[in-house]
Amino acid sequence: MKQYLGNKWAIFMFLTPAIVLYSVIVFYPILQTFYRSFFEWDGLGKATFIGVRNFIELAQDYLLVTSLRNGFLFAIVLVVFQIGLGTILALICSDADVKGRKLLKTAYFIPVVLSVTVVCQLWLSIYDPVNGLINKWFEAFGMAYRQDWLNSPSVSIIAIAFTNAWQYMGFQFALLYAGVKSVPEHYLEAARIDGASKWRAHLHITLPLMKETFKFCYVIAITAGIGAYVQMAIMTNGGPGTTNYTLTFMIIRSAFSSNQYGYACAISVMLIVISLIVTLVINKVFDRQESGMEQS
Amino acid sequence: MNKVVGIVLQCFLWIYFVISVYPLIWMVSYSLKNNDEIFVTNPFGLPTHFRIENYVNAWNKFNVPSYIANSTFVSSVTTLGVVLLAVMFSYAIARLRWKFREAVRMYMIIGMFIPMQVIIIPLAIIVKDFHLTNTYGALLIPYVAFGLPFASMVFYGFLRGIPQEMEESACMDGASIYRAFFRIIVPILSPAISTIIILQFMGTWNEFFLASILITKENLMTLPIGLIYFQGQHATDWGGMGAVMTIASLPMVLLYLIFTDRVERALTVSSAVKT
Repeated sequence: MKQYLGNKWAIFMFLTPAIVLYSVIVFYPILQTFYRSFFEWDGLGKATFIGVRNFIELAQDYLLVTSLRNGFLFAIVLVVFQIGLGTILALICSDADVKGRKLLKTAYFIPVVLSVTVVCQLWLSIYDPVNGLINKWFEAFGMAYRQDWLNSPSVSIIAIAFTNAWQYMGFQFALLYAGVKSVPEHYLEAARIDGASKWRAHLHITLPLMKETFKFCYVIAITAGIGAYVQMAIMTNGGPGTTNYTLTFMIIRSAFSSNQYGYACAISVMLIVISLIVTLVINKVFDRQESGMEQS
Repeated sequence: MNKVVGIVLQCFLWIYFVISVYPLIWMVSYSLKNNDEIFVTNPFGLPTHFRIENYVNAWNKFNVPSYIANSTFVSSVTTLGVVLLAVMFSYAIARLRWKFREAVRMYMIIGMFIPMQVIIIPLAIIVKDFHLTNTYGALLIPYVAFGLPFASMVFYGFLRGIPQEMEESACMDGASIYRAFFRIIVPILSPAISTIIILQFMGTWNEFFLASILITKENLMTLPIGLIYFQGQHATDWGGMGAVMTIASLPMVLLYLIFTDRVERALTVSSAVKT
């Protein structure tokens, strides 16, 4: 049997296609990104090694501040909307006497399966300053309040982030709902018998027990915010001006518009490092909460 | 009192229901209106007169059929490739016996945590060096490679749960390991395979980022890219745009409505795989 499952030729045959493809297309480029970040390179000619000069230049790039700020604003919108509101909706929805739960869950999830381009185009028409749905509604209620949602430097990043938040709400909701449901009913019943209200019971029992779910939800929401690109690429092309730039936007611009491949790789490295730090911090924060609770 | 609070809270669920669905209903409605109706006479409500000509126009005058054909082809081939390679790979690391299989598994897992935008530059250069720019290969090869880590981990989890007697009896009967794989293991895996088929097909159908960078020729564009191209040329034709968007969304919405539970479970399982 050992020989049967240890068939060297079979192992080789099963393994090779996937390993080769993965190594060439996914793994090798990661190494390249790190390596090329130390070069000045236009993608075609000879690359010159310049040490950490790309990173020094990046630190002084005025677009970096804009990009980081937008990344974090984007992340905050996702966290507040998807996780904040999503948790509240999931808790309400878990209640036994909710009617039409299946319909609600399906409706929340439908935007998730749409193409991001469809959603962006749809919201472009919703935000349209003249004929858009939002301004039309204001008009219908007789309010003169109109906004050029996507052209205002302060509002547009929020408006764009909201598009993403709206589309993937159903995904986070499904995760959070599964998290709420994974808490054993008799825990809550015990708390109710002790006289705690339903919402107090949720606050002290359900939410702490959903720690693993929250950890994952925070990681995907915040890393999605920091890496955001597609929405601004489609909806405002980074504008007005450069106000909606993000790190990914900088990568694409430096590489494919101004041919600074080395510099673009340095930005990519920065994006990986920030995402890693965020993931580690989130894990740390949630794990500390646990040990804190055990002490008290 | 508690009853009243419960009803008020349930109202929130239905308010979000409207927020989630109304924009889509509005989209389908305006795909059936002309500009005059969208902008002036009937901006919010359902269409009073169904202008199917928006769909006919979108379909006949523009390249929508070609976008759909490209999307269908690319999504199908990608899905097939991912399933085939990932099943073979995960079989080797989950059930065959050799030294470094745990290390190879870890190596593959790394791919799940790499955002596409971080490797896009070297990838674009590789695509160019292999002379794949503006061919189907520019999409198919990266898509399959990117699909492998996740699919492999799902299959791996499933394969670990199958008792070893399966191969033992096949060995006893004198079947080769390949025969055991195709005739016994693959059929047992079919629930996991169908989950991956649905997820991979949907993911590829909707993929925008890579396609937007690697494809510039119009006859190779998939729907998400074609849609942007279409919009650039017909920015003022809202009804036509709405029709194209509805056509692009319909297959995925139907797929989801047919396989609701499976899709949701699969996507939430993906969180378990990643943590």
